[in-house]
Amino acid sequence: MSAIDDSLMVPAAEQPAARARALPRRLLSRLGSGLLRLVLLTLAGLLLAGIVHIVTVLRIPVLATHDAATVYAALGANGHADLATPPPAGLPAILDGAPNSVAAVCSYDLAAGPLRVVARTGSLPLGLTVHRRGGGVAYAITDRAAIRGVLEFVVMTQEQLDERLANDEEGETSRELRVISPSLQGLVVARVVVSRAFDRSEAEALATGVACGMAD
Amino acid sequence: MRVLPLAYVIALGAGLGLVSARYAVAERPWFGRAQVGAWTSWPNSGARDIDPYMRAYLARGVHLPLGAGEGLELIAKEDDAGQGLDARCRYLVSGATPPARGWSLGVTDPSGRSLQLPIERESFTDAEIVRGERGGMRIALATTPETGNWLPLPAGGRFQLRLRLYDTPISSHAGELRPDALPRITRTDCR
Repeated sequence: MSAIDDSLMVPAAEQPAARARALPRRLLSRLGSGLLRLVLLTLAGLLLAGIVHIVTVLRIPVLATHDAATVYAALGANGHADLATPPPAGLPAILDGAPNSVAAVCSYDLAAGPLRVVARTGSLPLGLTVHRRGGGVAYAITDRAAIRGVLEFVVMTQEQLDERLANDEEGETSRELRVISPSLQGLVVARVVVSRAFDRSEAEALATGVACGMAD
Repeated sequence: MRVLPLAYVIALGAGLGLVSARYAVAERPWFGRAQVGAWTSWPNSGARDIDPYMRAYLARGVHLPLGAGEGLELIAKEDDAGQGLDARCRYLVSGATPPARGWSLGVTDPSGRSLQLPIERESFTDAEIVRGERGGMRIALATTPETGNWLPLPAGGRFQLRLRLYDTPISSHAGELRPDALPRITRTDCR
């Protein structure tokens, strides 16, 4: 005999009582499946949040409009570094800037070709750094590496380096220091430490004396 | 009724993802930091292999960090006892500095900006301080004038100390330093 046949045998007076007993079980079952659905949806939301988080962090440098290279894009256009401590009128100051150093910057756009940077060293410590667009230092060098009082290097993209290497004379060693910039745009920063307050004018002259122009 | 669950997933994912990303790069990130005593540094902030969080932080403002070969910046928000630096207290910064061509020690507000005090003395360099018999650094931080090397503090509020080491060989392995290789920050008393 089947189960359906058994239920038909329940007396009519007992049927509402059976239904009343089954109701909490049905409610619990529905609540359980609803809760499980909510947990699964929340897990899917958290997974999506992780993806959005990673993509956002990676895209910030690409979409940045207030980074140093973008803000100071007009500085250094006349062939030498322009002072950024303090910056020219209308431009924001460097955040976290050291009061005991002066900084001058040259912006570059390698779309037109490699950039040659030439700095003469003095009695004060000088450092040159290449900052790519969207934040980050691509290269740093100090005046300890100067040869006969001159620091010189050429900033270029990987493609421009490959082209230069292909054009180099066979078996001849190039004497120029070649620096790869991961981005087409960026900044060359000349930073001079001001050891004593009266050194400031000398430091500013040293920093703004850095020449930056087309390599060829 | 499939729209409601989908909207819930998208709202949760986009909202939480964007807010957490903003929070993660609003300040210098936890990732990649090196803690030595009271001093914190981010040795890779000026290196080519910078982590994405630090890069995103730098991209959000006009930051020009020291290059890895150029120097290292260390920041202290607390004293050696772990208490937050408070301008209502007096502090003594003393001890040694790691080998470097030069260094500077400055006071800033919690955001790294100048304190804009009436007295124009925000920092000392290694060439400016008066040294003791043993040649170590000894700098007093207080609101009222102190004898010797004195860095003025504002009337109240939190502040930070920033130690910059120029042309130092420790740039890439700052996390391996022992605490006694860096200056100690001791709270003298409080008002």
